[in-house]
Amino acid sequence: MVDVAVIGAGQTKYGNHPLGLKAMWAEAATNAFNSVDNNFEAKLVDEAFIGSVAFGGAQLGNTAAILTEHSGMKGCSVRRVENACASSGFALRDAMMAIKSGEADIVVAGGIEKMNDLSAERKRYWLGVSGDTEWERLAGLTFPGTYALMARRHFHEYNSNHDDLVNISVKNHMHGFENEVAHIRKEVSFEKAAGGFMVADPLTLYDCCPTSDGASCVILAADHVVREFTDDPIWLKGSGAGSDHLALHDRHSITQMSATQKAVAQAYKSSGLSVNDIDLAEVHDCFTIAELMATEDLGFANRGEGGIFAREGRGRRNEGDVAINPSGGLKSKGHPLGATGTGQAVEVFKQLKGIVEPARQIRDAEVGMTHNVGGSGATCAVHIFGRDR
Amino acid sequence: MMDEVIEQETIVWKGYLACFGNDSCVIQSPWILDGDCVFGADSDHTTLAVAAIQLMQSKGCNLDSINALPDVEASIITMTTGVEIVQASEDETVELSADWDLCISDDARVVICKKDSDLELWQPEGTIEVDADFHQEITSAWQKECNPNHVSQGAYISRQQYDEGAAARLKLLGQELDGKMIWPPRQMDDNGLAIPQASTSLHGEATVESWTKLAPAGAPSEFSFRAPILGGITTVFVRFKQGPRGVFLLVDDEDNNPQIGDQVQFVTRRIYAQEAFIRYGLKCQIVKE
Repeated sequence: MVDVAVIGAGQTKYGNHPLGLKAMWAEAATNAFNSVDNNFEAKLVDEAFIGSVAFGGAQLGNTAAILTEHSGMKGCSVRRVENACASSGFALRDAMMAIKSGEADIVVAGGIEKMNDLSAERKRYWLGVSGDTEWERLAGLTFPGTYALMARRHFHEYNSNHDDLVNISVKNHMHGFENEVAHIRKEVSFEKAAGGFMVADPLTLYDCCPTSDGASCVILAADHVVREFTDDPIWLKGSGAGSDHLALHDRHSITQMSATQKAVAQAYKSSGLSVNDIDLAEVHDCFTIAELMATEDLGFANRGEGGIFAREGRGRRNEGDVAINPSGGLKSKGHPLGATGTGQAVEVFKQLKGIVEPARQIRDAEVGMTHNVGGSGATCAVHIFGRDR
Repeated sequence: MMDEVIEQETIVWKGYLACFGNDSCVIQSPWILDGDCVFGADSDHTTLAVAAIQLMQSKGCNLDSINALPDVEASIITMTTGVEIVQASEDETVELSADWDLCISDDARVVICKKDSDLELWQPEGTIEVDADFHQEITSAWQKECNPNHVSQGAYISRQQYDEGAAARLKLLGQELDGKMIWPPRQMDDNGLAIPQASTSLHGEATVESWTKLAPAGAPSEFSFRAPILGGITTVFVRFKQGPRGVFLLVDDEDNNPQIGDQVQFVTRRIYAQEAFIRYGLKCQIVKE
């Protein structure tokens, strides 16, 4: 089987972006091309997989075609991948599989979302489009609501509490503070985060990620062409994906995500690695409770002990067992839906290459993980990257 | 039609006030404004009619069909209660043939009575004064929401999709498979095997397993006119005694903070409207000791 490496990765800054869809993508793609150690040209790309929910007001259909033709990839095989917030996590998986199939040598996986060019009223229409529209939306739920239901139930079943979520928020803001591409580069105190405006009881403003614009792009290469581009590739060592019932009420449990459990089991198996090998993990913390549950589902904490893990600071950069969200995560770095999954891969690529801002560098980082969840957990893609093949 | 005021026990029923007699049932909104009975945040004559019929059915009345003016949504009442609503056609070729009449007042009250019988006025206990501004704002919000030009620009439940799920939504119709209830109905089970068509309703006994109150700005666009007036909307995640779970809006929840473990009952209310089509559904009400 062909091995797959990441040879380049780049992104835009996340946030309220002045650029439109095409310009944002061009910037992310250019940053990715320029990050390749040796010369790289867009025309070398065989296939492109671009994740997007198509939230913004520019292009709904054929998004991948218009983006790639504006970034030097006209003519290559392209498509948009849509799995809600996990769109580009799945784009990355599809890109890897295209290479493993032997049909392609160089493949781009990327993602993009423009969320802040809409009026407040139109934005409201998009809130929660990826939840169960017929039953959850008509019960008044958008994602803050569904995750709030999970949080309250987790508190009830496992004696976790809102302070545990506040600890996650404080950590991620601290991690994102020095990240030049983060949407919110602001540290928050425990007291401030604990007293935030209530968005969906018990989740406050500081438990929720922002709505961000942004684009991200990762370049994958087959093992037999890697050395043409770099002597220092980051290997994509494992990949897993899973799905679950879309609606919370159909799931076995609302305090764990079986899609994540399935995806990470596959990723550990395909990489030959275990949870103890992970030095850093970019975890899908669209809401703080999502990170708490993910630390359990990914194996960093025992079932029901995600609150204790957060309380004890075991996910803090260069202090804990493993660095959880060294980029600041969705909470601080931002969450441009379709761009988030490959944006996580950009962070892991840079951490493993040792090229992030020095203050954010995870010491001796050898293995990193990305965990990208669609909506309230209906889909999940997990990838494991390493410096060694 | 209404003759003398009588003293009769007020029944609190499905969030309304009701009075039940041998040949009649009067039901009204508990909210009062300047002496008039007015609708609450999500009620109308259709939801009152549903509650009245359900009360009569709970008292053993056998109602097959009821005559009604076209001011109520007959399909919703029939779907929810199983009672046929006979409505006169505009050309008057359809005769009001039922033995019972559904009478609608100008205010938030309906009466169901034997055809051509006299009615007795009733003074309910337990009415609540409603804030005039709140009432005006919520009424105005519904008017905007019911406008034919009020259309979705994003996630959307079409009328066809709503109709497909209406029996599950309005009377908790589910499927039975190997002694287990499945709700909302599904096409196949987890093994890819087809499930028999929905034919059995859940009993409607359920317990709160989680809940949240969403701030107005976070509510789906379907609720964007009303959520700010209501100060947010509360959703409960419940488990039915027969196994399935579901999410429902809480009705009249201004002063209610649910607790995990609370028992709920289900009431028929307006959910939202788009394109001049009101989607009705069940909402939860906490059962108080």
